[in-house]
Amino acid sequence: MRREEIENQESKIENGLTRRAFLRLALVTGIVAGARVIQQATEPVGFERWFRWMLRGNLARFFAPPARVALAACATYDADVLGAVRAAWRDAALPDVRGARVVLKPNLVDVVEDLPCFTHPRVTQALIHLARELGAREIIVAEGTTFRRDVQAVLDATGYTDLLARERVPFVDLNYDDIVEIPLRGGYTRLKTLFVARTIRDADVLVSLPKMKTHHWTQVSVSVKNLFGIVPGIKYGWPKNTLHIQGIAAFLAELADSLPTRACAVVDGIVGLEGDGPLFGNAVPSGVIVAGNDLLAVDATCARLMGFDPAQIDYLDFGAWAGVGAIDESKIEIVGEALARLRRQFARPPQMG
Amino acid sequence: MPNAIEFLLRAQNPDGGWGYRLGGMSYVEPTAAVLLALSDSAARACGRDFLLALQHADGGWGIAAPDSESGWMTAWAVRALADFSEARAAVARGVEWLLATEGQRITDPAARQTIHTLFRIDATLGAWPWQPGDAAWVHPTALALLALAATGARDHARVRDGVAYLYDRACPDGGWNIGNPWMLDKKIPATIQDTAIALLALRAVGVTEDEGRMTKALRYLRDAIAQAQTSAELAWGIWALEDWGLGIGDSLTRLNALQRADGSWEGNPFLTAIAWTSQKAKRKTQNVKVKPET
Repeated sequence: MRREEIENQESKIENGLTRRAFLRLALVTGIVAGARVIQQATEPVGFERWFRWMLRGNLARFFAPPARVALAACATYDADVLGAVRAAWRDAALPDVRGARVVLKPNLVDVVEDLPCFTHPRVTQALIHLARELGAREIIVAEGTTFRRDVQAVLDATGYTDLLARERVPFVDLNYDDIVEIPLRGGYTRLKTLFVARTIRDADVLVSLPKMKTHHWTQVSVSVKNLFGIVPGIKYGWPKNTLHIQGIAAFLAELADSLPTRACAVVDGIVGLEGDGPLFGNAVPSGVIVAGNDLLAVDATCARLMGFDPAQIDYLDFGAWAGVGAIDESKIEIVGEALARLRRQFARPPQMG
Repeated sequence: MPNAIEFLLRAQNPDGGWGYRLGGMSYVEPTAAVLLALSDSAARACGRDFLLALQHADGGWGIAAPDSESGWMTAWAVRALADFSEARAAVARGVEWLLATEGQRITDPAARQTIHTLFRIDATLGAWPWQPGDAAWVHPTALALLALAATGARDHARVRDGVAYLYDRACPDGGWNIGNPWMLDKKIPATIQDTAIALLALRAVGVTEDEGRMTKALRYLRDAIAQAQTSAELAWGIWALEDWGLGIGDSLTRLNALQRADGSWEGNPFLTAIAWTSQKAKRKTQNVKVKPET
């Protein structure tokens, strides 16, 4: 009897199964069990979509160049805000706006007396001046407020009515603009399309111009959350809750991923808002302007400036995993001022639910 | 103010509808509001036909032609078309849609308690959402009540639900906002527009000033309109106060001072229609007294 046959005979287990067959069976069982675990884990969205997101995210993590985010110091609104915005725009290599139709989208969520919950008009004013310097063909300030149908009351109370008149810049109420339907690329929610304001679709460059603050639903509210204002209230209501119930993290990733026009961000972090944002937090003098082309990278940097770990913030963590943008420190190149010098620890928002 | 009407006639789009600005896309809401304001029969017929053409197979209306999903503007369409005898069938289907549409009710005890802790609201009350699948909110609920009242359905059980919802969502200051009177431990202030439309709706379904809550709400609106600055605040506030038979002080003078040379308010057909309608509002109840604060 040959040695191989002897070994085969010896390796038979009591029920007659050979060792090789047993190993094959164990391998197949493992693969099937693993596939079942993945299938169950990805069931809510479907394996194919989950795999696409995961693949895109990993490709971005390993092969995409770092996102550039610029920090510029600006101690108060009476300081040289235009100088800080100009430096941040240049350092972050924000879009060339020569001959462009530029839409500035500040955060005018609402007015609460003495609380800085909205983008300060001096920052918006600086952007208007900078866009003119850079040769923009047309400049529009636009917002679709969340809590009130009557935006004029908000414009009056925030000082924007005076600003717009002084600068002779038109304002478009995005809640009442003509609507256009755009496809949603990511498939992160059940929505396949989204109505947005035509002014946003027709812009050459959209500048998200948020306040740097904490938020009781999303932990932080910066350039991506600010984009809630581009969807029309006449379709999604006030406070656009229809979009919240899609899952805030997934919807924010979808919004950032599906913008119909080129977007960048310039953040008003001169005085931030901590604690119970988006409305009732407290002022935090932070003295910073933040700018970048990758909205997730800008928001992740703002989270670090506020003393939070971006990976612990759902929409940032999900968006980065799906490849919408970068949040890892190793994938963000900070230019301008050093982040450590400008970091302030913000009070966390209260837990909802 | 005859030029307000001239502006509205000029603002009608070729498709028969009106938008929120001259030459803007036609929407259901401004079209319905202008139909309530206008008496010109030719323009009204075109506006009526615009609305009828946009009704969906399910009986509801979207916000405009590109919107294939029925939602809150159904109430506006029903309210406006209720004045047209030839639109009776469309109105009946619209009413069916409204009665079948309800904001999400939270019945799970733990979730209900969490929501009550956060917002101090009763999440089991359904009322009307902006869109199917959403929670109920003040504005679409008030509009639905106005529409149902105009079609003779004010005794329907859903109307009583809507009234209960509005009572529950009243702000501590007596008025209404979007539907969040509290956020954690913070009082969220009322707004003139939300308060006005809630009061118009409650009046339409038969609530009277004898209801104690109304005194507080009317007092809020009367005080708030004295400070109002914008066309929308003044127009909605005047409409509601006139409807309830309350004095409006110098609000009308201030509203008229904001009218533009072209006859419009802010160049906006919707707002112009509301401003015009507010001035037509008749005092249905004279000498309503707002009780002094206790």
